[in-house]
Amino acid sequence: MFKRGRLEINHDILLLIQKNKNHIKPTPLLRKSNTSAGRFKEYLSELLEKGFVKKSLEKGKVFIILTDKGFKFLEKYSTILDFIDEFGI
Amino acid sequence: MGMARLGEVLTIGFGTEIIYSFIIILCSLMIYFGTKELYELSSYKGLKYFRQAFLFFAIAYFFRSIIKFLLSFFDVRGIIDFPQRVFGIMTGPIALFIFMYFSSIAIFYLLYSASWKNLKENKYTIYSFHILAFVIAFLSVVFRNPSIYLGLNLVLLLLTIFTIFIAKEKKGKHPFYKVYFLLTLFWILNIIDILLPGFFSTTQILIYLASAGIFFTIFYKVLKKVGSK
Repeated sequence: MFKRGRLEINHDILLLIQKNKNHIKPTPLLRKSNTSAGRFKEYLSELLEKGFVKKSLEKGKVFIILTDKGFKFLEKYSTILDFIDEFGI
Repeated sequence: MGMARLGEVLTIGFGTEIIYSFIIILCSLMIYFGTKELYELSSYKGLKYFRQAFLFFAIAYFFRSIIKFLLSFFDVRGIIDFPQRVFGIMTGPIALFIFMYFSSIAIFYLLYSASWKNLKENKYTIYSFHILAFVIAFLSVVFRNPSIYLGLNLVLLLLTIFTIFIAKEKKGKHPFYKVYFLLTLFWILNIIDILLPGFFSTTQILIYLASAGIFFTIFYKVLKKVGSK
């Protein structure tokens, strides 16, 4: 079975947020991300730490939204993959 | 006398050296800075080692130019004949040490960028590269001996062949492995050219042209990829 790398999982999580009108609660995001709860927590922490996403509090509920850097990552994702492939790195 | 000598140095082939160094340093720095955004967004390890390799190539080439200048200025044939103390400090040995250290580490990082996925990584891997580069630089300065110089470069070349062979076995053929091999091979020839002047005599200009061509090819490919979208 094909194993997703860290870069791809980060991309998938960011894409899920974007597809959900840049506005999703952590629990549905976990469910849709197709990762274990432990792994998801780890990836989400990384995305928060790197500034790709941020938490937004609305009516007492926490939502995850993309930052400008998150949008930039999605925009450049195919270039990053092409680059890695082109140079065999 | 000093100024007259300086003028003479600048007219005898030193212009070619400056242009050659400028092309390599510029290409290397453009690769490093051109891939900054991709690395900052992805934090991808292969990209990190790839970019750092070119930063180290740029630093090594800068010190290569200093050594070439000092050799011409003091009119000595090789680094072995170099005066121990220049301008009150051990300029020659220090420049040689820095050149050898950054040359070796650049080669290690470039090879590691292509093979890191196939190797079991631990926290000591990168430290071991720096220690090995330090040992190579140290031996180059301490043993001012052509056999030692050739031996060290043979070790680097064998390491290159072995790494590319392993990467090919695990990841399959990749067109850029040939470029990495040629880049390392010509870089090693550049190191030998510095350590043992006259070793290549008539073919020196061909080595310069090939090296510049390889760096320019990589730079062009990077520019095409990074600037394409």
